[in-house]
Amino acid sequence: MSFTEYFELLFNDYTLRTISLGTAILGAICGMLGSFAVLRKQSLLGDAISHAALPGIAIAFLITGTKETNVLLIGALISGLIGAFWIRGITRRTHLKSDTALGLILSIFFGFGMLLLTYIQKQPNANQAGLDKFLFGQAATLLARDVWFMATVTLVCLLVLLLFWKEFKILLFDADYAKTLGFNTKMIDTLITSFIVLAIVLGLQTVGVVLMSAMLLAPAAAARQWTNSLGIMVVLAAFFGATSGVIGTAISASQNNLSTGPVIVLVAAAFVVFSFIFSPSRGLLFRQIRFVKNRKDLQLHKTLAFMFDIAKSHENISHPHTVKILNNFHGYTRKSLSKLEDKEYIRVEGLMWAMTEKGFHFAENLYNQQVEEND
Amino acid sequence: MTSAQLEIQLIASLVAIACAIPGTFLVLRKMALISDAISHSILPGLVIGFFITHDLGSPLLIIMAALSGVVTVVLVEFIQKTKLVKEDTAIGLVFPAMFSIGVILISKNANDIHLDTDVVLLGELAFAPFDRFLLDGMDLGPKSLWTIGVILIITLSLLFAFFKELKISTFDAGLATALGFSPAVLHYGLMSVASVTTVGAFDAVGAILVVALMIAPAATAYLLTDNLKKMLLLSVFFGVFSAISGYWLAHWLDASISGSMTTILGMVFLLVYLFAPKRGLISVLYRNKQQQIEVSLLTFLLHLNNHTEKNERHINHLNEHINWQKVRSKSVVDLALRNNMITIDKDIISLTEKGKNFTDKAIDYIITNDDSKIESIKEDFFLFRG
Repeated sequence: MSFTEYFELLFNDYTLRTISLGTAILGAICGMLGSFAVLRKQSLLGDAISHAALPGIAIAFLITGTKETNVLLIGALISGLIGAFWIRGITRRTHLKSDTALGLILSIFFGFGMLLLTYIQKQPNANQAGLDKFLFGQAATLLARDVWFMATVTLVCLLVLLLFWKEFKILLFDADYAKTLGFNTKMIDTLITSFIVLAIVLGLQTVGVVLMSAMLLAPAAAARQWTNSLGIMVVLAAFFGATSGVIGTAISASQNNLSTGPVIVLVAAAFVVFSFIFSPSRGLLFRQIRFVKNRKDLQLHKTLAFMFDIAKSHENISHPHTVKILNNFHGYTRKSLSKLEDKEYIRVEGLMWAMTEKGFHFAENLYNQQVEEND
Repeated sequence: MTSAQLEIQLIASLVAIACAIPGTFLVLRKMALISDAISHSILPGLVIGFFITHDLGSPLLIIMAALSGVVTVVLVEFIQKTKLVKEDTAIGLVFPAMFSIGVILISKNANDIHLDTDVVLLGELAFAPFDRFLLDGMDLGPKSLWTIGVILIITLSLLFAFFKELKISTFDAGLATALGFSPAVLHYGLMSVASVTTVGAFDAVGAILVVALMIAPAATAYLLTDNLKKMLLLSVFFGVFSAISGYWLAHWLDASISGSMTTILGMVFLLVYLFAPKRGLISVLYRNKQQQIEVSLLTFLLHLNNHTEKNERHINHLNEHINWQKVRSKSVVDLALRNNMITIDKDIISLTEKGKNFTDKAIDYIITNDDSKIESIKEDFFLFRG
């Protein structure tokens, strides 16, 4: 499928348009709230909550008997919240660490959910098929009103986020300070946790229980590499999330037998890998380049310092010396010599070198930051 | 009980034991979530192994799966080392990506074969007895029984051989390094065991139950004891208990065995979480409440000790003076009366000999912070225990 075809389809095909819009909105809200989860070191909370939401779906079905998505999602929301706050209870009240609490709640709730699902499947009424779409998600089942619902929730989240921006930010980076300023930290904390649960529950239908955590984490982790400002990070994460949603949907629509959830996750993962490598300030590539450059500079300075030592013992600093007295131990190579010449620190004539005025001055103050600043 | 039922319970119990042992160490080393990551990310290994052999029973599958488990651990550690993201984010990034690759590989290539993502997540213990291990036409029992049996024996022998090393490196990594045990070898050894156990177990019980069987029994046991040996035994006990009772629950409900085993694990944890004698929620809350009252009692006694004038010691005056609500002051006065620390004579409160003694000791303790002063009152009061 070519690009033009894709765009044609996007505007004409109802299903593709709905799903693309849905995954884009989902990616945006997940990236937005995921930034907070990542910065609060609660990355895996999403994983635990999405698994914990499963029994809620099953119980909602058992009680109401409908497969109405919104009803099931309310069940998911409730059991997700119970899971989230139980995790907090365990880490607060006992000496069990947060990783244990997360893994425990995740597996127990999920197991219980699976027990209920298999129990439902054995029930005589034939209405139960399709509940397991929440395991891996089926973006194809997204309807226009689902997307409207998601958009509304996202808008509300955005409004609250803007309204309490200052509070969220201060709680994020200095919880004690927030407390001393008189903010109700417990309330803000609960609010943000609830929003994260809400975002996860929204994504269950599209991406599914198992992969939901990546939707929350990956855009935020990628965005974190490009900036140190919370505002930019949130916007970037939302953008990354939305883009991976759209691209993932496009890829999975272009081929048969390709479920949308995993593809979106892989696209988001590609964003992460790209950011890890190519981010200018934190990325691995530029970090390595800086590292190599620093090492080369150091070598050059070593050579220069050695030359300076020789030159300063002469009355005329530009007195020529043979190249022979330089050696590898002082970081000398043919390349470094020509580099020094390029910078006009030395002059090379045949097999002799001589220091210039500029080079002498530079070498003199090589380890003297104070003078350089005064210059 | 038929022999198939017996075999299922036996397999489930062995899986529970095999998981509980590495699980205990993972929980103690704060790496519980690694088991979650491993259990998800062995999927691509399994699928690739299947594409190579086209045989679900081949041992290559287990090797490939265990390998991709180890790859996950290495990847997670690599990302952690770059310090680009926090530790748990690294876990959360790696395993969904691995799992997605697995799911996509399955859905693209293996639609018509018996390799289903549901099976991967859930396992099907009920069918385990039908997959027999045949040698020269002789029936040697179910295959998974052999797989998990071998893994359990390896795990147990490693545990007995390296118990001391594991113990030291778990609780004091610095000391272990100083004594010459390589932390890296122990770490990757443990990870490999966890990986192999996960693979061996998940064939029978599915990815999620493996996580539950690793973490839940160990976490439950950790609420009950501080002793490593006891913790290991207790978690094995909880694992086996939930395996067997979970089987019967599933039998009764006609539902997934692994789901009901997990549910039993959850209920056991909930019970212990609420009622554990020292670390349980109820005893923690009770202790907090007691300590609160005792602090009040001490304040009250110190107040009495400081004032000899009658109007300062009038029962109604105390209400105003220490600024407590009625109920609270009443409970404090009652507690003091019950312990014979005060007497009330016409609404005037005075310290008894015992109360004076207690107050002096408490003041001594507060001033000198010396434990020996309060040995005698420790028994009766939570406040001075911790």
